Amino acid sequence: MNDVDTGERRRSGETRPVITELIDEATVQSIAEDAWTALVGEDEILLPIPGELTGDIVSSWVDVVGPWTGTVVLTTGRETAAGLTRALLGDHAPDELEDEDIADAFGEIANVVGGNVKAALPGPSALSLPDVGDAPAVRNPADVCRLDVLWRGEPLSISVQGALPALPGAPQN
Amino acid sequence: MRALVIDDSRAMRRIVSGILEGLGYETQQAGHGREGLDVLDGGWLPELVCVDWNMPVMDGLQFVSAVRANPAYRQLTIMMVTSESEHTQIVRALAAGAHEYMIKPFTADAFRDKLALLGLLPQEVAL
Repeated sequence: MNDVDTGERRRSGETRPVITELIDEATVQSIAEDAWTALVGEDEILLPIPGELTGDIVSSWVDVVGPWTGTVVLTTGRETAAGLTRALLGDHAPDELEDEDIADAFGEIANVVGGNVKAALPGPSALSLPDVGDAPAVRNPADVCRLDVLWRGEPLSISVQGALPALPGAPQN
Repeated sequence: MRALVIDDSRAMRRIVSGILEGLGYETQQAGHGREGLDVLDGGWLPELVCVDWNMPVMDGLQFVSAVRANPAYRQLTIMMVTSESEHTQIVRALAAGAHEYMIKPFTADAFRDKLALLGLLPQEVAL
């Protein structure tokens, strides 16, 4: 009897790269520093020191869809996001920021960081419009490259995280 | 000189418009490609259009194609200003009819250099 190709063999041997095989924290930090210098201010520094994110936090993110599919997520305190918005808008910042202003500016920072992360990954890939809110859940802890920094002493994280669960038999962190 | 700035981010529109106004440009803003076309169709024709790529309703590439399909807009210089930095994407934008490509993030100096390359620095600034 001839073998019937059900695709099972290919599926059982399927592999896909995890993000740590494609990009490292140093590259993400370099991308973030360039974005901060250009968007937030020439003298703005990101210190690669972990800080604890507590209280009212907000995330902004963009999705990358391609050979690697996942999300680039920025997370920080809402007050820090407001500070980033003021820095980004400079003289154009309104006296009282609205949630929409923060979502727009924080989303744009995610868009710029995410676009440059995408460029560092194998392509071609597509980039989504930015979104702001509660961070998407981590689906596979082994498929995450996370950078923790301090901006003006406040904690901020940048997580490049896969959108798919781990394959059966794949190593877990 | 006039410039139309098209980006779905208000913050980015303000940044780009601020740079251009500092160089002496009069600017208008639009939140996506369709709004940008509406500005042009309304008769406000700039020398320069700065357009983002990823936007709702009509993206930057669709905008460039629409402008290039209309002979009335032949004189417009279009610069894509976007975080899309893959080489293939840059080639697509230029093939569609964009003249220049500026990758976010950028500095005001880098922006000015691109305008100089395009011959679009106001004379008093270029001197």
